[in-house]
Amino acid sequence: MADGRLARALPSLLAVTAALGACFVALAAALGDAGLAAEAFGQMALGGFGDVPRWLSTGDAAAVLRPLGESAGKASVLLLAGLSVAVAFQVGLFNIGAQGQLLWGGLAAAVVGAAVQLPPALHLPVCLLAAAAAGAAWALLPTALKLRRGVHEVISTIMLNWVAVALVENWLVVGPLQGPAGAGTAEVHPSAVMPRLLGESSRLNLGLPLSLAAAAAVAAWLLRTTHGLETRAVGRGQEAARAAGLPVEGRTWTAMAVAGALAGLAGAVLVLGSELRYPGRLAAPYGFDGIAMALIGGNHPLGVAASSLLFGALRAGGTRMQLLGVHRGFPELIQGLALLFVAARLGWAWLLLRRKETPRA
Amino acid sequence: MSFRPVLFACAAALALSACRSKEGAGAQGAPSPGPAAAAPSQKVGLVIDVGGRGDHSFNDSALRGLETWAAGKALSANRYTPLPPGALEASLPQELRTLTPPIRAVAVEPVVLSSKAQEDYEPNLQLLVDQGAGLVIATGFMLENATETVARRNPSARFLLIDSTLLDPAGNPIGLPNVRSVVFREEEGSFLAGALAGLVTKGTVGFVGGMEISLVKKFEAGFRAGVATTNPAARVLAAYTGNFDDVAAGKQVGADLLAKGADVLFHAAGSDGVGVIQAVKEARAGGAQAWAIGVDSDQHHLAPDAVLTSMVKRVDLAVYEAARDVAAGRFTAGDTALGLAQKGVGLAEVRAEFPGKAEALAKVEALRQRIVSGGLTIPATLEGLPSFKAQP
Repeated sequence: MADGRLARALPSLLAVTAALGACFVALAAALGDAGLAAEAFGQMALGGFGDVPRWLSTGDAAAVLRPLGESAGKASVLLLAGLSVAVAFQVGLFNIGAQGQLLWGGLAAAVVGAAVQLPPALHLPVCLLAAAAAGAAWALLPTALKLRRGVHEVISTIMLNWVAVALVENWLVVGPLQGPAGAGTAEVHPSAVMPRLLGESSRLNLGLPLSLAAAAAVAAWLLRTTHGLETRAVGRGQEAARAAGLPVEGRTWTAMAVAGALAGLAGAVLVLGSELRYPGRLAAPYGFDGIAMALIGGNHPLGVAASSLLFGALRAGGTRMQLLGVHRGFPELIQGLALLFVAARLGWAWLLLRRKETPRA
Repeated sequence: MSFRPVLFACAAALALSACRSKEGAGAQGAPSPGPAAAAPSQKVGLVIDVGGRGDHSFNDSALRGLETWAAGKALSANRYTPLPPGALEASLPQELRTLTPPIRAVAVEPVVLSSKAQEDYEPNLQLLVDQGAGLVIATGFMLENATETVARRNPSARFLLIDSTLLDPAGNPIGLPNVRSVVFREEEGSFLAGALAGLVTKGTVGFVGGMEISLVKKFEAGFRAGVATTNPAARVLAAYTGNFDDVAAGKQVGADLLAKGADVLFHAAGSDGVGVIQAVKEARAGGAQAWAIGVDSDQHHLAPDAVLTSMVKRVDLAVYEAARDVAAGRFTAGDTALGLAQKGVGLAEVRAEFPGKAEALAKVEALRQRIVSGGLTIPATLEGLPSFKAQP
C-alpha cells in the first residue's frame, strides 16, 4: 500500500521539482544572466511569502503580513476554481466553464451584498449562498444540454463563458447594475465584506479558511461517502455504473451543481474579499487557471489545495520580479511549464510501473 | 529503458541549474535599480493597468511621460539606458517643443509595475510606496479605489491618479492632501476628430469603444457632435469591444463597421485600437478607401497610410509635470481637468493626404478656436447630444 502511494506520489514530486528547475534554467536563459534570475526568484519569494528581512530590520510586521494576504487571496480563488474543475472531472466531465460560473458568482455576491440589508452574521452567508447558487445555475445549463441533448460539455461550457462575459461584464455591470461611482456595481455593505483575519494591514480574509474548508469537504464527500464513491464510479465508467444500477444522471447533476457552486464562490471571494464590488472587469481568467490547478493537483482535492497555495504565492510574488525588469507574464509561464511537466508525468509513471511489474511477472 | 536515465537527467538538470546560478552570482555586477545610482534622484513609481506596456496608446503615453521625458531613459533588454543626446527632443510633438520651461529630463528614476488582475492594483501601489518612491502614479480610472485605499494608508506618500478623481461610494469627488488627479475633456478632442471625419467621409463613419462606460462614452459623444457639426447627413455607427486589452476583438469590430460601410473609424479602445487600425489597413490593401483615427498617443507610426490623425490625450505631459514637480520639491495635490485650451487634448498632426485637405483643416482649426475661446461647449454625455445638435 505504502509502495503504491509512493509510486503515485513520486511522479508528481519529480514533475514539480523538475518543473521548478527547468523554470530556473528557462529564466536564466531568457535573461541571459543566472545571477539576475536568482535575484528575481528571491524577489518572488519576498513578494509571495513576505519580506522577512524588512520585518526583522524595521519591525514592520506589515512587510510580511501584506504579501501573505495577497498570496492567500490568489490561492483561495485558484483553489475554489480548481476544485470546481476537479469535481467535474471526478464525474467524468471537463468543466471549462468555471470562468463563466465565477463571473456569475461574483456578480450575485456583489448584488446581494449591496442591495440587501441584513445583520452581519447573516449577510455574508447569504451573499455566499447567492454566489454558489448563481454559479451552480450557470453550470446546470450545460449539464442539461449534455444529459438531455447529448451536447458535449467542452463545447457548451466554453461557449457559455463568452455568454457570461457578454451578459455580466459587457451589459449588466456597465448598464442596469452600474453603481454611482462608475465602472462597476455599487459597493457592498460592510456587513457583507469578508472579515480580515490579520487586521487592516493585510488583505488575508476569510476566503482562505473558506476555500480550505471547501477542499476538505470535497475530499470527505468524494473519498469517504457512498455518494462520493458513486460519483467517482460514474466518472470512471458511465456504462459500468449504469449497469451496476447507479443513478448516473443524478450523480452528474449533483457533481456539476457542486462544481458550479465552487466556481461561484471563487467569484464571491474576489468580490467580497478584495474588490468590495463587482469592478468594471473581474479581469484575471481564474476559471481557466482552475483547469491548471486541477491537473497539477491530480484532480485530488488536497492536491489542488497544494498546487493552489504554491501558485497563489508564486503569482502574488511574481509582481516583485518586475522590479528587476522581468516580464509580468513570468508566473504564468512557470505555471504553464509545470502543467507541461505534470502532463509528462503520465509517461514517467508508465516507465515506473513497467519497471515494477517486470520482476513480478 | 528503465527509469534510472530519467532520474539521472533530472539530477543533471538540477545540478546544471545550480551551477549556473553560482557561476552567475559570482560573475555579475547586477545592475539592480537600487539606491546605488548616482545623484540624489528620486524613484517615481508607475502602475499601469491590465492593458500593459505596448498598447501604443494610453499606457504608452504615460510611460513616455515618465521614462522618456522625465527620466530621459529608454528600456531595452529589461533595463534602463540613458537616451542618446537629442532623442528626448526628437520624441516631443511640435506643440510641446515651445513649452516654457522646456521638457527635459529631471532627477527621477522610473519603477514601472504592470498589473495582471484587478486585485493587483492595491498591492502594486503599496509595493511602490514600500520601495520608497517619491511619487506613485496610478494610470487609469480602474485604479481609483486602490489609489484611495493606499493613499489613506500612507499619508506621507504622494500620488498622481490619471483619468479619475477620487470618488466616495456615492460617486462624489473627494480630495486627499497627498493625491493629485488629472482628468481630460476627451469630448473636446473627440469633437475635432469627428469634425475631421465628417469632412473626409463619403457618408458613414464608425466609432469603436473599449469598455462601455461613461469615460469612453465621452469620446463617442464628442465624436458624434463633431460629425454632426461638419456633416449633418453622415451616419455614425458605434460599437464597443468590452475591454481594452484584446487586439483581436478590436480588429473584428473594426472590420465589422467597415463592412457596414463606414470609411472613417475612430477608436477609444486602448490596445484594441491596434486591431482597429489593422482592420483599416487591410481594407485599404483590399482597395477600399478607409481611414482610422487613433487615440491617446499619436498612432501615425502604426499605419502611416491609414491613420488620418489621432486624438491625442496628453497623459504623457501630466505624468511628466508631476514627476518634475516632485523632483523639484514642489508637488501639489488637487484635481485638474485638461481640455483643448490647456492643450491636454487635441489632434495630432494630419500627415495623411486627401482631397480638400487644406480647407478641411482650416474648418477644424476654426472649430478648435471656438471651443478654446469658450464659444462652443461640447457635450460629454450621449444624453447631451440632442440639445447640442439643436444649437444653431
